[in-house]
Parts: sequence; C-alpha cells; structure tokens
Amino acid sequence: MATRFKPDETFRDDFRYANSDDAIMRFPFPFGEDGYMYGVNIEPHTRPGSTGAFAVAFDVDEHYVAECAERATVLALEPGRCLVLPHMREAEWDTLELIMESLAADYPDQFTLERSGDVWTWTNRPLNIHQTFRFGDATTLLHPPFEYITRQAQGDFTLQDQRDGTLYIDGGIATVPADWSLAFDVGMTFHEWHGPVPLAHQAGVFDRALQYLMRVRYGHPARRLNWTMTINPRLDTSPENYPLWGPDRTILDAENIATRLFLRVELQTFYRLPRSNALLFGIRTYLASLADLTRVPKWGCRLHRVMRDLHPDIIGYKGLSRYHELLVAYLAQFDDGTTTTAGTDPEVAVLPS
Amino acid sequence: MTSQPRYAQLAPFASARAHLLVSDHPHLADLVFAPGHGVADFAERWIVVSHALVMPKPFGGPGEQQFRSPSHLLALLRHRLAAETMGLRLYAVGSEPFIWDAARIGHEAGMGREEMQLYACGRPERRVSCVHCRTVTPHVTTTLVTCDGCGVTLTVRDHFSRMHNTWMGVQCDAEVPGELPAIEDLSA
Amino acid sequence: MMDGQTLMLVVAGTTSVAPGLRRVHLLAADGARLPPAAAGAHITVSLPTSSLSGRLRNSYTLVTADPERGYELIVRRADRSRGGSQHIHEALSIGDVIEATVPHNLFALHSQAKKHLLIGGGIGVTPLLAFLARLRETKALFELHQIASPAETGVFTALLAPAAGERIHVHAGRAGLDLPALLAAQPLGTHVYVCGPAGLMDGVDTCAAALGWPASHVHREDFGAAGGEPFKLTLARSGIALDVAGDQTMLEAIEAAGVDTPSLCRGGACGVCMLPVLDGEPEHRDHFLSPAERAAGCHIMPCVSRSRSATLVLDI
Repeated sequence: MATRFKPDETFRDDFRYANSDDAIMRFPFPFGEDGYMYGVNIEPHTRPGSTGAFAVAFDVDEHYVAECAERATVLALEPGRCLVLPHMREAEWDTLELIMESLAADYPDQFTLERSGDVWTWTNRPLNIHQTFRFGDATTLLHPPFEYITRQAQGDFTLQDQRDGTLYIDGGIATVPADWSLAFDVGMTFHEWHGPVPLAHQAGVFDRALQYLMRVRYGHPARRLNWTMTINPRLDTSPENYPLWGPDRTILDAENIATRLFLRVELQTFYRLPRSNALLFGIRTYLASLADLTRVPKWGCRLHRVMRDLHPDIIGYKGLSRYHELLVAYLAQFDDGTTTTAGTDPEVAVLPS
Repeated sequence: MTSQPRYAQLAPFASARAHLLVSDHPHLADLVFAPGHGVADFAERWIVVSHALVMPKPFGGPGEQQFRSPSHLLALLRHRLAAETMGLRLYAVGSEPFIWDAARIGHEAGMGREEMQLYACGRPERRVSCVHCRTVTPHVTTTLVTCDGCGVTLTVRDHFSRMHNTWMGVQCDAEVPGELPAIEDLSA
Repeated sequence: MMDGQTLMLVVAGTTSVAPGLRRVHLLAADGARLPPAAAGAHITVSLPTSSLSGRLRNSYTLVTADPERGYELIVRRADRSRGGSQHIHEALSIGDVIEATVPHNLFALHSQAKKHLLIGGGIGVTPLLAFLARLRETKALFELHQIASPAETGVFTALLAPAAGERIHVHAGRAGLDLPALLAAQPLGTHVYVCGPAGLMDGVDTCAAALGWPASHVHREDFGAAGGEPFKLTLARSGIALDVAGDQTMLEAIEAAGVDTPSLCRGGACGVCMLPVLDGEPEHRDHFLSPAERAAGCHIMPCVSRSRSATLVLDI
C-alpha cells in the first residue's frame, strides 16, 4: 500500500488537516444526481466499487494514524463513548475477528494476523502494535475486545441485536458522530434511533431498509452513503459537546467558506457477525472541504444543484440552516448550466488545481 | 418523529391468560379505555392512593389493590412478575414517567413489548436528560427548560429513550448564546 | 474457502449414530479455517442426485461448528427423499469434496430470554444439540424435551447423553409429553424453541397461543424461502424467452441472458430493479410494493420475486 500517513493531523483546536489529491479523487462523493432525497440506497458491499473507498472491507487512508490518535483522545476524556451491553459479548469478539481478518487481507504490508488455535498474534505496523492474546479471553487484551479493535479502525461502529422483528442498537463506539448520542440511543430499535430524521418515515424508507438489513447474510455485507456538513475538519461533532462546536456554525463568510466548510460523508457498511448473529454497522467518515471538492468540475456543479434544491426539512435536520444561503451563493460559480452525467465518477483523470 | 411514543387506549389482549393493570392514580377515567371496554375488563388492578394506611396483596386475586406510592407499587410489581408464569399481560396507566418505569420492570422480567400496553394521561410532564452533563431534570412541562445540573437552557428534542425513560435535552442556544425560540407548554 | 459465498468442504469422517442416523464431520477442503457460526445455524450443501437434473441442495443444521475443528451434521435417511440423504448414507465417503454455502442462521437463541425451553421431534434435535452446547457455556436456564418414536428413545437418550441431567427429557411419542402442562408451568420470560415435524411445531404454536404466550416468544426452525419452482420468463421487448431455475433469481436469469437491467440492493427493498409485468401472475416476495400494487400485478421486483404462473412476461 502506497499510503503515506500524516500522524500530526488534528481534528480539533488547530485543525491541521488536508486531503492529498489522491484522497480527493477517491472521496466517496454521495450525489449521483442533481437532487437529493432520502431513499433506500443500500447496495451489496462488493469489491471493487466505484472508488478506492469501496474496494476494501474497512478503508484505511492517509488519515488513519491521526484518526486513531483522535479516538484515543476522545476516549481518554469520555470513556462512555464506547459502550456495549452485556449480552453482546460474543459480538465483540466477532467484530475483533472481522476487522483483524479484513485489515490483514486488504493491507498485508501493514497488518498481520497469525493464529494457532485460539492463540492469536496481531501486528499493526502503522500504530506500532504487536499483540499476542487468547481469542475469547478478554483478560489477555488491554481493552475489552470491541474497544480494542475499534481503536485501530477509522470511523464509528455500532452493534445491533436482531430480535422481535427489528434491530436493537445494543452497543457501539461513537467518537466521530454526526450529532447523535450512543449513550442516549443505546437500547433503541431501528425506527426509534432514526426517530428525528424528517420525511423518510412517511416515505416508508425505514420500513424497507429494516427488512433489507435483517436479511443481510454472513459473507454478503451491504453498504450505503449518508452525508451532512461540518465546519472545520472536526470529527467529534457529538451532541454531548455541541456547546463547544455549535458556535462554529456562525463563523462562515464568503471568504472562508471554501476552506472552512466540509462535506461530511459516511460510508455505512453492514456486516452479519457469525457467532452472535448480530449486525455490525460501520460508519466510516470522510471530510473534504468545498475547496477540495470543487476542483472536480462535475462535483462542483452538482453540489450547487443539490444544495440549491434541498428540501427545507432536510436543510433544518442536517444543521445547514444558518449558512445555507451563503453556501448556495458560493457554489453558483461552479454551475455552468449544462447537463451533468449520472453517477458520482469525477470524470477527470487528474485533479485540476 | 417515531421515537416519540404513541399511546392507544387500553383494550384487553385477546389471547392472554391473565391481565394486570397498574396505575399511579386512584381513579381510572373512562377515556383510558378503548370504546366498548372499561374497568370490568381488567380483573386485577393496582392503584396508588398516596397514603400509608394500606396493605396491598401483591400476589394475585381479583379486584383492586391499593399502594402507598408509585415507588411502593413498582417495587412490589417486580416481586409479582418474578413469581408469574407465561401468559400474563401488563397494562400501565398514568404519567409518562410512571408507565415507562413499569414497562422497564416488565422488560427486566422478560416481557416483550407485545405483552404490555401503556397509556399516558394527565398533564404532560417529561423527564429530560441533558446530553451535555447527564443530569435528569424531572417534571418538565415546557419545550425549553433550564438544566438542573449545568444550567444551560435545553430544548427538549423529540427523541425519547425507553431504556432511560427520559427525553433528550440539547442546549438551545449553543450557536448564538441568548438566541432562544419562544417557550411553549407541552400540553399546547 | 472459495469466496464470501461458497465453501468447498471435505468429508473427514462419517459415523453411524443409529440405523438411519449418520453423523458427518466436515473440514475445509484446502485446510483453511471455516467460518464460525451461532448455535442454530445451517449450511446448504449441493449433492448429486439419482435424477437427470444433477444437483440437489439440502440444508442441514450445524450440530457443532468450529473454525478449526470443523463442522458436524447429523443426517437422517428420509424414506421419501429426492436422493440427498440417500447419498449421504450410502455413497458419501471420507475424502469426498462437497460444495456448501457459508453458515446462515434463521433459528437463533433470543438474547432477552430468562429461560430457554427446547422441544424437538426426531431429527429436529440437531439445532437443539447446538443450543445445548451454547446454553451450558453461558450457564443459562433451560429445559429440553425430545420426542422420539418408541423404538428410538434409546438412540436419542444416547445422543443427548453428554449433556444429560434432570433438565433433559426424552419422551416416547408425542403422547408421552404433556405439552399444555409443560407450557403452562413456564415462568414469565421463557422462550420456547421447537424443531421437528410440522405437526409438532404447529402443535406447539397452537398450544402456546391458547395459553397466552405471545408469538414473539415461540420460535420454530425454518430454513427460509429462497428459491422456488422453476418457471418460464419472456422478455417481450428483447424478444427473449428464458428459463428461471429453481435456485436462481429472476434477476440472475435476466443478467445471465445478457440483458442489461438496473438493480441496487438485490434484496427487494430499494425498488430500483422494478419491472413492468405484461402477462402472468407474480409471486411477490419484496418489501417495496404496496398491497395494492401487489394485487394489481403490474410490477415486480425480479431480485427476489418469482412467478405463480408457468410463464411470466415482462416489458423489457
């Protein structure tokens, strides 16, 4: 893997963060059409997909080392951000196995997993970890298994117990949440934790998505994209800390919007876990500034149209109200009025500067 | 907004072996029951009379049992359910915090949601959990409230946790301090 | 392991448990680790049949499943068989390689149960054996009642022997078990799991309901409704007539014929693959169409739905 990690990046305070041209080109741009509305946009998580971000099980990119450090910072300050109910212990080990197997298979130069019976040896070169432990025995790991492995993966994860005709969010880690609280939502059903989302309920989106997810089989993961916007490349936009990041929404102006407003895309993946029969949701989070994304002409044009025509309820729910007008005004310059092609492909071989 | 619980008037489950109705109020108004149903459909009823001069029998028998307080009732409910067999249905009527406390006890006894019916009545009041400092502010009757713990003005989001039996409170003016919408009564 | 979807398994051992009951031990043909599985999971194996059509797909519970020690099945020789169990009893030998799906679980223990009541009939004991191992591991409260024909009570007693205790009961025939008394005595929070002949499972359903058990506390083994009867499909605009096989989806058949048609979730939920129906009677298995749309029969989701009529005509 040719990735060069940038271990000194930060996602708070001084926000030392940048996307390389590679990172921009492989960004999971979520808009395949000139308009956006909620739908059941779930598809099989097969490889390869349309960008590098879809070609592996759990994507490791240039921000990996820095994101793991950020996660460690959050957990040191707020350990309750990782929480697993007692009946999900088996799912914890399933998650550890899945992520270790996947990273070792997808990035053999960076991760290695050796197994002899239940004695496992795990090597994570980017984080300089070399750990021998007994699979199934939590006393042989520094942290409980789910926390142990998610500290070495990018993005949040949740564990769902499937029972009584629905899914219950019975565990997870949320250090990069887009304004939702794991501590508050734990124990809710699929429809309950999606309660606040406007419009989608009436359209039956969650009913159909739930039916699909409950039928996800081992070996056949699925994925979808979700998006919102964040001021500054701040990963921790938790409701818990909203008093600290909320004021950021007032700092945008025409001069800084390009570099301070970020499109935040979640690549959500859904895996059936074998021993527990639970579902693991991965919420891999990507941030790219408007300046980054509008270097791709098609993306700049499409962003204008999507944001201009966005349903007011969605604008409100996604927290864009305060700066929506400014955003549309800024993006107008990238819209040449011509027809755009369907799909998210950037359609440039090299990123223009 | 579907995390917000929706309540239907009570009607006895058709296929149950036995029914137990609990209420935090001494009187069960007609409006609590679905049309065509009433108190007579619920052979065993537990009510709260708010004084200590009663000795209820928690282990069964038809009629009305009187309890000293909601806490007294709920403590005995736990014991009762531990002694029960399959086929029981639980009905809880009263303030929203009380009925979800009862539901929690049912859940901990192994009952599923389809074995319980809940009906909130009386003046709307909510327990609000401040997501910032985790303090629960009880008896909230308005859309905005000052957090008992950290003092911020919370907007009560339309997001309810059955497990915690609280609504989610989030700082209302985090973006621009002092910029607050009009405060409204919950029963409006 | 081949890919995320199929396993190549080698027979590492076969033993006769009793006349008509054979235990089969399977390992990965390439010696690799096998996927783990939750108690109650099954695999679907592809077996040769005596008929001309070639392959038969039968599902068997994993009585044990360990990534390194392998999988164990217990197969009963069925009197009226399409040939699958006959093959396992008469022809399958050590060293044979068979193709199977990765494990799939449609019959799992409930995480909130205060007590697990297991009821089995005949070969339906296999998922219960898997449950027993797990319940003992977690020290959960359980009770097992196995119904065997009078001639086979010894067989099942022996099969259950490693887990024997006062919580395990083998009954001679259904009459040997007082089902209403058993169900009526269960504490609040019990879940019952039944696997065996349809009559037994229906009997538990009915008896539990009559005693006031909610449906969500009654679980029965169900290998799922994937696949179905083969049927003929005509694509009117493309002028193509093709056959949809029993173990193939309509969408797969269309794609195999080289016709380009949109799809996304491939699970009946998103609506992207929807196609207009010109003739024939759809068998809807999706989660997208409304009841009215289903009744009208003018649209279908080829990724999961099939045809009730011998032929279906689509407007593509």
